[in-house]
Amino acid sequence: MSQKWLLPLLGYVAFSVAILSVPAMVGDNVFLLNKYARYLALALPAVALALCWGQAGILNLGQGFSFGIGAYAIAMHLKLVASASNPGGLPDFMGWNNVGALPWFWEPFHSLGFAVLAGIGVPVLLASLLGWFMFRARIAGVFVAIITLAMLVVGNLLVVDQQRYTGGLNGMTDLAWLNVLGLQIDPYSRAFYYLTAGSLIAVLMAGFVLVRSKFGLILQAIRGNPERVRYFGYDVARYQSVAFATSAGVAGIGGMLYAMVLEFASPTFMAVPLSLAFVIWCAVGGRQSLLAAAIGAVVVNAIQGSLSEAFLDTAQLLVGGIFVLVVLFLPRGLGGLVEDTATRLHGAGARLRRGREAVEKSVDLPVKRGEVAK
Amino acid sequence: MSAILDLKGLEVSFDGFKAVSGLDLSVGEGELLCLLGANGAGKSTTLDLICGKTLPTAGTIRFRDRDITEVHEFRRARLGIGRKFQVPTVFRELTVEQNLEVARSEYPGVLSTLRRLGVRRCDRLEEVLELVGLTSKRRAQASELSHGETQWLEIAMLVMQDSQLILMDEPTAGMTIAETSRTCELFNRLRGRHTLVVVEHDMSFVREIAERITVMHQGQVLAEGGVTDIENNEAVREAYLGSRGIAHA
Ligand SMILES: Nc1ncnc2c1ncn2[C@@H]1O[C@H](COP(=O)(O)OP(=O)(O)OP(=O)(O)O)[C@@H](O)[C@H]1O
Ligand SMILES: [Mg+2]
Repeated sequence: MSQKWLLPLLGYVAFSVAILSVPAMVGDNVFLLNKYARYLALALPAVALALCWGQAGILNLGQGFSFGIGAYAIAMHLKLVASASNPGGLPDFMGWNNVGALPWFWEPFHSLGFAVLAGIGVPVLLASLLGWFMFRARIAGVFVAIITLAMLVVGNLLVVDQQRYTGGLNGMTDLAWLNVLGLQIDPYSRAFYYLTAGSLIAVLMAGFVLVRSKFGLILQAIRGNPERVRYFGYDVARYQSVAFATSAGVAGIGGMLYAMVLEFASPTFMAVPLSLAFVIWCAVGGRQSLLAAAIGAVVVNAIQGSLSEAFLDTAQLLVGGIFVLVVLFLPRGLGGLVEDTATRLHGAGARLRRGREAVEKSVDLPVKRGEVAK
Repeated sequence: MSAILDLKGLEVSFDGFKAVSGLDLSVGEGELLCLLGANGAGKSTTLDLICGKTLPTAGTIRFRDRDITEVHEFRRARLGIGRKFQVPTVFRELTVEQNLEVARSEYPGVLSTLRRLGVRRCDRLEEVLELVGLTSKRRAQASELSHGETQWLEIAMLVMQDSQLILMDEPTAGMTIAETSRTCELFNRLRGRHTLVVVEHDMSFVREIAERITVMHQGQVLAEGGVTDIENNEAVREAYLGSRGIAHA
């Protein structure tokens, strides 16, 4: 393994070890554990964004679309489980909206496997479709941002509008706990925390390999100059679509975990502010690295969390301020700062070594003492 | 010599302005053809037509006995057409090695690139780095290279791509004399293995490498022939050499 792999890999491993050791540190404080699980769930859409924006240069302002679909997919399953004892097994909000029988598209969500598959598969499918149209037409840059944002708004409106099937503005509340092979997973438990941390670690590790594969390299090349890549024989639109769809799948996983950790799904998951927040977290951490984006999400959420306990409304303001400062002074985010510092230290070390060598060489000069003075 | 590339009656107009009009051109397999012409004669546009960047409004393009007039750019690249741009175009944020890895595109599908590493060391990579003298800068970011080195990197990428037909748009533009003569050597090593179409303004360079020259004027072929034929051609002198002065180049 080359050095270029080693250092970043150490970073990923350190982060994994750190988040896995959180339960041991917080002890019995299940509220804290739940809070940290929430931060980790929110790291997933930031990682997803680092993948498509940071790597391939596709700025998706509507990441909440995929995130929301993931959340609703798992929420539908958990709602059905919670409603098992209702007449007809009908979710409560359907009863309030005079829905007589369970709609056909709700039926398969009795199966957890189906729900999980849908939570990842539907975002992937829709993103592939949208990506195909966008990237075939060579839409790029700010236009992609606008289209994805529009997609998000449409998704949000649809969810709010179709109250009979989605719970409308209230969303889906009173969800059951996740039940895996007869095991109830309380969102305030270590098991749930590990599920979230494990998902994040798995995604990060897969991402680590992906970014360093030739596929990742082609994405970076496309970010720099799609035209040039095309003349080497790569189907640029396909690469972009795959990156966009993979990113959507990761956001879907994040959405599922987020709905479980909060025990509800709400249209706010698909609202514009949250999707913009994803972008902020990703940019603060550093979009060029998946790990940096994850750390950015956790750090910003932690700051916001602790500030809002103290000052409530001013928290948003402060986070906004941090973002502006980062964009102005650290265009590559905190991750970029760390990287630059490491390079500088390395460079300084190398200069020092070179200097020492030079001094040693000069000592060897075949010039006798006193000769120079003449 | 059988023709690998055959252009017939090509025409392109930009907002009514005909950049290329009624162009016929044939390039033999393994040949090195120099394309000359004054500024705006339509040389770059001709290369754009061959690699698919621009679609013709009329005419046909045949490559290896296949009509590729309507074929998508990336498919043309897969068929064996490589292109170096007039403004050196490399991936500035990637290292020299990574640039060359992108260029190595014998398996350009998503599934195959997923299974490969970002940079694979191999004899071929070493060979190409050596060829353009960038071995010591392999880890450098392309943005740190000098102008001449950037030109070489792009040329190296085309060698790495190993296309049958390589289109070079002003490969020595902005190079020092020493760099240009080095590029000369490089081209002499490429000839035979690849078919080359080279757009160039530097006459001493053209004299050094050219077997056959095609001179373009106002989107058409004005003259074709060997170096001395062209230098002694009256029409060429008037249309092109008068404007740039071939004699002192
Ligand atoms: N995309 C475009 N839109 C409009 N006009 C164009 C376009 N591309 C080229 N032209 C025009 O077509 C003509 C031919 O341009 P081309 O770039 O092919 O010339 P050239 O022979 O390569 O010249 P040079 O030696 O300056 O590179 C020029 O007059 C140019 O202004
Ligand atoms: Mg030109």
